[in-house]
Amino acid sequence: MGEYLSADEDYYSDPDSQEPFHSHDDVDVDVDVPVVEDDRDDPRSTPSSNKIVIRKEHLLLAQMGDLRRVMDLLKLREQHARTLLIHYRWDVDRLVEVLAEMGKDKLFAQAGVTLPGNTTSPLLQSSSIITCYICMEDVCPREVTTMDCGHCYCNNCWSEHFIVRIKEGQSKRIRCMEHKCNAICDEAVVRKLVSARDPDLAERFDRFLLESYVEDNKIVKWCPSVPHCGNAIRVDDEKYCEVECACGFQFCFGCSSEAHSPCSCTMWELWTKKCRDESETVNWITVNTKPCPKCHKPVEKNGGCNLVSCICGQAFCWLCGGPTGRDHTWSSIRGHSCGRYKEEGEQKKAARAKRELYRYMHYYNRYKAHTDSFKLESKLVETMMDKISALDRRFYNLNDFSWLTNGLNRLFRSRRVLSYSYAFAYYMFGDELFQGEMTKKTREIKQNLFEDQQQQFEFNVEQLSKYLEEPLDEYSEDKVLDIRMRVINFSGIVDSRCEQMYEYIENDLLGCLVRTTHSIAPYNSKGVEKASLWSATVDNSGCHPPQDVKDFGRPSKESGCSSSRKRSRRDSRGDGLFDLNLPAEAIDKC
Amino acid sequence: MVDLTRIQKELTDCNRDKRVSGVSLTLCGDDLAHLSGTISGPIGTPYEGGTFQIDIRIPDDYPFVPPKMKFLTKVWHPNISSQNGAICLDILKDQWSPALTVKTAMLSLQALLSTPEPNDPQDAVVAQQYIREYPTFVNTARYWTEAFAKRTSIGIEEKVKKLVEMGFPENSVRKVLNTVGGDENLALEKLCSG
Repeated sequence: MGEYLSADEDYYSDPDSQEPFHSHDDVDVDVDVPVVEDDRDDPRSTPSSNKIVIRKEHLLLAQMGDLRRVMDLLKLREQHARTLLIHYRWDVDRLVEVLAEMGKDKLFAQAGVTLPGNTTSPLLQSSSIITCYICMEDVCPREVTTMDCGHCYCNNCWSEHFIVRIKEGQSKRIRCMEHKCNAICDEAVVRKLVSARDPDLAERFDRFLLESYVEDNKIVKWCPSVPHCGNAIRVDDEKYCEVECACGFQFCFGCSSEAHSPCSCTMWELWTKKCRDESETVNWITVNTKPCPKCHKPVEKNGGCNLVSCICGQAFCWLCGGPTGRDHTWSSIRGHSCGRYKEEGEQKKAARAKRELYRYMHYYNRYKAHTDSFKLESKLVETMMDKISALDRRFYNLNDFSWLTNGLNRLFRSRRVLSYSYAFAYYMFGDELFQGEMTKKTREIKQNLFEDQQQQFEFNVEQLSKYLEEPLDEYSEDKVLDIRMRVINFSGIVDSRCEQMYEYIENDLLGCLVRTTHSIAPYNSKGVEKASLWSATVDNSGCHPPQDVKDFGRPSKESGCSSSRKRSRRDSRGDGLFDLNLPAEAIDKC
Repeated sequence: MVDLTRIQKELTDCNRDKRVSGVSLTLCGDDLAHLSGTISGPIGTPYEGGTFQIDIRIPDDYPFVPPKMKFLTKVWHPNISSQNGAICLDILKDQWSPALTVKTAMLSLQALLSTPEPNDPQDAVVAQQYIREYPTFVNTARYWTEAFAKRTSIGIEEKVKKLVEMGFPENSVRKVLNTVGGDENLALEKLCSG
């Protein structure tokens, strides 16, 4: 026990240290919890190495990273590099590929980059008065500008052209005024001429160029928080993942909606839509109505008798839902008895609709139950703080309570996965997305296996929830220690059960799909990963994360868990005590 | 504000060689932002012999945005709406460049009359006919040219005479007829409303 405490203690002490967490606390505690393996070769073992928050004020610097790579590679000026990158949607690798495939000239021509020729325009050298062929006015050479492509017009016309284009929202690609000239205008010229006329618009132009780095870029996205925090998130080399912005908002990087793993983005979109459309109505309809056997409209029973008649004129038996005649006595409907079971083709359609509805209700209710539990348990955070301070006063040798906070975090994470797993199952084993993917038999077997795992996971989550809700502050020290043991124990079990379920989903369910691919954000024992703050000291290549982030990401073999780093207390937001994404090292090490 | 210098110059330039180019440009009233152009149907096409009236509106941002053009004369062509004369031509949309002029745009329209692009149609019905029953298309186009593109030029003097007899001054009659593309009834309506 004592060793445990020291480990927990160590975890929080020295908040400023950024060093990897060394495992002098590699203790053997006698609980039957599988340890999270350390050196796996999947992205899970290097969390945070590739997720970076870029604050609005750092966008320019972040953009410079990619720009400089291209500038160095092709010996270009910044604006040309930007034009190239906007054309290739900030995909430096793709740009390099095109360069290798087609050569520099074609690459430049396609993107509209024209490097200034060596000879100055003959117009400029010869006459003292130049006619601008746009406004047909004669102007002196000081008042004309020749673009890199060699086309020369008066400054007034250029300015007007730029202003119209910027207002049209074409800032990112303002072409030369000459007919069929594909060249993109030099942004420095645009800036200079526009700001002389309309400084606000020039600012807008700059903002468009800057924000292109987010808006036209596959690997950078705005944080979808409302109200918007102004941050962008960059994720390298990982298409399907969930990430937490510095503002605390967690989202799926694939679809920018809330984190929804193990549902795929498609499933989640369908599910949220279905829930929005149907939940209220469906609830009521299932409880209060039965479909008419003739017109299939839902019928509500408003009297006491079991002979119900629909507005379409059809009478039916409320008990079995079958069609009947209209004559009845107090005790029975004439010529009708529902004691016998029979299958009729007529009823099949109604039966299928009903089955579908019940199927949806089954999954929805469980999804909802866990979502509701999650909301209720969120209140535990407040009471837990009181409990901890009470415990802290009473037991001097129990001075670390991270097992409680970690357990709580584990519970929150698991609840969420659990509730989404029902939405997942609804689509995985239904016909809407995967009709014909599996034979009926295979599906049945797989569904059974999945449900077994889901149940075990669910059972352990409930256990964990139960112990976390105990009135610890009223218990004796022995009892508290006992519960502490159980919380740690179940946290570990829940984690590994959840991971097993994910493995099954990824390998045996989604991995076996033939006709379509559904990818999900992989399981992360530590919850949705927090993107690290982009630092201005980033190396120039731009594709590499800041140095300290690299350290963070390197799996430390000597420590007992996949990626460990002491987190400073200051990192946690909100009340300074609970952070839903605290790495659960203590748990993982058990 | 519309660039007056440029429009004035475009008008003079365009009309200098109108007999060679087959396109001409006139003002509609005193407003430099509203012009009327004519294109003679290219020789060797179903439009040969016709004179086509084009309504031209010059937007405020001209020449940095394209002029708005449409056919006033009814014409049977895959890239021109048979209903309202709207034109589908790239340089009148995103391929416009400030270095182009109303004249070059009209020359492009003339070129469009000789080389229709049925794969990028404005009028799907005409385009279908062009692709599937080319001879019928040619006949229809020729008939429309006869019926709509020639009448105005022949009958214009008669119309002027008729309207002058009604008591309108000849000057304004000619001007109004020009504006409405030679439609007698429209001209009368306009004259009456002052």
